[in-house]
Amino acid sequence: MDTLLSGQLLFAALVSGSLYALVALGLNLVYGTLRLLNIAHGDLVMIGAYTAFWMISLFAIPPILSLFIAAALCALLGWAVYAGLFRRMLAKPELAKRVEANSLILFYGISVILQNLAALAFTSTSRGYQYLDTVITWQGISMTGNRLLSLGVAASVCFGALLFLRFHLFGWGLRAVIQRREAAQVVGVNLNRVQLLTICGGFAVAGVAGVLVSMTEQITPFMGFPFTIVAFVVIIIGGLGNIGAGVLAGFCLGLVETYGIALTSPGYRSILIYGLFVGVLLVRPEGIFTKAVRS
Amino acid sequence: MTTPMLSVSGLRAAYGPVQVLFDVDFDVEPGSVTTLIGANGAGKTTIMKSIAGLVAPAAGEISFEGRDITQAASHDRVDAGLCLIPEGRLVFPGMTVEQNLRLGAIAPAARAGHSEMLAEVFRRFPRLEERRGQQAGLMSGGEQQMLALGRGLMARPRLILMDEPTLGLAPVMVKQVFETIEELRATGFTILLAEQNAKVALELADRAYLLENGRVALSGSGAELLDSPDVRRAYLGM
Repeated sequence: MDTLLSGQLLFAALVSGSLYALVALGLNLVYGTLRLLNIAHGDLVMIGAYTAFWMISLFAIPPILSLFIAAALCALLGWAVYAGLFRRMLAKPELAKRVEANSLILFYGISVILQNLAALAFTSTSRGYQYLDTVITWQGISMTGNRLLSLGVAASVCFGALLFLRFHLFGWGLRAVIQRREAAQVVGVNLNRVQLLTICGGFAVAGVAGVLVSMTEQITPFMGFPFTIVAFVVIIIGGLGNIGAGVLAGFCLGLVETYGIALTSPGYRSILIYGLFVGVLLVRPEGIFTKAVRS
Repeated sequence: MTTPMLSVSGLRAAYGPVQVLFDVDFDVEPGSVTTLIGANGAGKTTIMKSIAGLVAPAAGEISFEGRDITQAASHDRVDAGLCLIPEGRLVFPGMTVEQNLRLGAIAPAARAGHSEMLAEVFRRFPRLEERRGQQAGLMSGGEQQMLALGRGLMARPRLILMDEPTLGLAPVMVKQVFETIEELRATGFTILLAEQNAKVALELADRAYLLENGRVALSGSGAELLDSPDVRRAYLGM
């Protein structure tokens, strides 16, 4: 009981929850505005992680700066994918109808290519580095600096994105596209620009998440897939295309996972995550927060 | 001879292999109400969507105030001063009335004066002001139509395209929609109206076009079409 009520466990839950929320945020934005199911989303996390690793190993650039480099790199990738693959598909109504199903297959291909390119270039050896790993104790809670940084960055990016969607006119246009694409065009939202900037932003956020992950975990070319799965679980719990609910669901998944494991054992991790996922699909397939957090 | 505000010539459109518009020509004079009547499937909505830039025409030319806009993106057309009030209203259901109206002024040309315009829309439709905090999806069809029109006005258009504004509305609301259209004309707006409710639409129209199977079958003043035996038999049930 003591461990359950300790701040230590809460801190661990918040660290993983904020990361889940961040990874899912990018996926949700891209799905909401472009209706693209990005199976390669986790591989962008992997690219972000490698960026941080090589930057610190080769040029001694600390991860806190790599955050920006990884974001820019992934945004560039988003631009390439949009301009090269999807712009024309989305512009033609007859192709746009099938784009959701087609995107799943296309992104699966992109995922395989990215993973194998990474394996080819960096080998499949696990990599890692040390950064801010001294323990800080505050109010009886022991935290490493890198976890604290991870929580701070992930939570700020998530809430910054939500504030932007709420208060900036571009964010309004983005939400309009999510709610009713054709109506958004009717009022004069620049659909092309919203889609391009969303895919760049969504990819960039995944890159940022990758840098954060790399500070505490091993880096391999195949580390991305579990993040893709977690992100899908999170946005389905929150409600597809519902950005605020997705962030909340990310934190919830972190809490359920951490406290669930503390009550049972680490062997139950997958059962907890997928159990929650299946449970939500059975009881509220539209997502548990769709009404409550609707903005 | 004034130049028309909107000029459509040789317009063709198709959905996949199915052609729905065949060389449609018509003009809209500034300050007028121009009406397109015709049965379901005659091509009225496709014409409206082509003018708004939601459907890419297969051939033909659309020009607005003398400028060719056939290839322009939909948001550029809103910015240029034409605005569609779409069939089925298409309000943003999860947003409040006020947020819907704010989004109506998202076009760069409309941004600066949006608060004056909001006051103007509330003056025209006091009901929207009473309901400003309500979620749009929870309102009645008539209120949603009012909101869709208010949202369109927020873009400060000179030409308003209204696609089936009375569809599914109670008779008392239908009457109100037509009164609103008359008021808009009186305050200087130009209106292109697509309507199944042929009698009232023709009584109101300065100029009218009858569409049949994607072609203009008949054109003239509203009164001329009302007197035409073909129109009377097929559309007015007389």
